[in-house]
Amino acid sequence: MNKEGQVRTEQVWNLAELLDRVDNDQDLLRDLLNIFKEDFPRTMRSLESAVVVADLKNASRLSHTLKGMLSSLGGTRAAAAAAKLEVLASAGETASLKGALDALGHEAECLLPELNAYMAEVRR
Amino acid sequence: MKILIADDEALSRRLLEKTLERAGYEVITVENGKLAFEELCKPGGPRLALLDWVMPELDGPGVCRAVRVRSEQTYVYMVLLTSKGTKEETVLGLESGADDYLTKPFNAEELRARLRVGERILLLEDRLVEARENMRFRATHDQLTSLLNRGAVMDLLTRELHRSHREQKSTAIILGDVDHFKRVNDTLGHLVGDEVLMEIANRLLGAVRSYDFVGRYGGEEFLVVLNSCDPAFAPSRAEEIRLAISHRPIQTAKGPLGLTMSAGLLLSSEWGIKSLEELLHQVDNALYQAKSAGRDCLRIARPAVRAEPAPAPMPQSVRLRH
Repeated sequence: MNKEGQVRTEQVWNLAELLDRVDNDQDLLRDLLNIFKEDFPRTMRSLESAVVVADLKNASRLSHTLKGMLSSLGGTRAAAAAAKLEVLASAGETASLKGALDALGHEAECLLPELNAYMAEVRR
Repeated sequence: MKILIADDEALSRRLLEKTLERAGYEVITVENGKLAFEELCKPGGPRLALLDWVMPELDGPGVCRAVRVRSEQTYVYMVLLTSKGTKEETVLGLESGADDYLTKPFNAEELRARLRVGERILLLEDRLVEARENMRFRATHDQLTSLLNRGAVMDLLTRELHRSHREQKSTAIILGDVDHFKRVNDTLGHLVGDEVLMEIANRLLGAVRSYDFVGRYGGEEFLVVLNSCDPAFAPSRAEEIRLAISHRPIQTAKGPLGLTMSAGLLLSSEWGIKSLEELLHQVDNALYQAKSAGRDCLRIARPAVRAEPAPAPMPQSVRLRH
């Protein structure tokens, strides 16, 4: 299996790892998910704007922020996509940015429903 | 223990905050490097810090460099949080002054363990500082009375004389000697003599202002320096200080002892620029005059006003003072 294939086998959301990180504190987990739901779309929009105008510095900084946010939350695949975007922006690979951004958007679309489902479940 | 978390990303900041609060830390959070530096510079500020590498205003390594540039401040143990993982970046982070680094996303147990290492280092630093301060104290203070020792009080007096000359003020130098102290040692023993010296030290300290100096000059001789002392009030102040010894008996293991002190006084403003040795010689002469006048009194060292030179004082080594 190639490297790309390995990445795809990773979980969209590593809830077990996150629960371990928060010491099974459901209140804290809810806090984190709320912060994410507020900060992620805003940062993502800024990143999209930076990519459109090929602002490499901001694209690198914002994808770094998203990478941290996603990895803290256990969004392994999305974090890897953000990391790839950060590397490309830092290396000045302008031509590849749009594709990497789309990949990140795709991973986020996979992750968000899982987070929403979890939040709906814990609210019950 | 206080700990600073500096991270521009709210989610990571909240996660760290809660994790560390649970571990018993008093957590302070900031969202950029500039605020982190300000927090770490505050008196009584945190001595443990978790700094994200990438932050606005000032990045994590920048905070480390800025903190390390400060001198004479307590050590801050700084851990860089980074998702950067290359060897070059690790070296760069540590070279900036960080003590450790931790890769994001962190493992809570590892984070706590690394912070415990930091606490051990800080404890070690506290012990070293305490040992250094003890050594400094011992080097500058008299072991029996805890007053400044002769060397230290003379250093301070030298500085004070320069300052008072520069500011056109006057420094009062009082050299006091406990009358008949030898009898105390000879008849009641050295332990009682030590008790007496300790009590006299306390009384002298209690009789001066917080910014004056009191030192043990010799066996039963004490040097008191009154900084920026108005010459008009210096004699009465010196007399008050001298009487602090005799106004009530000193309680000892062998009963109360009534003791007196003779003293010489010198006002630096009356002597112009003179060496420390010369001024001490003159105040010592005044003390000798007080002893010669029957003890338990004060004499003031005044510059000679006659044209012809004053007779040379008797060498100190041949004087007898009891």
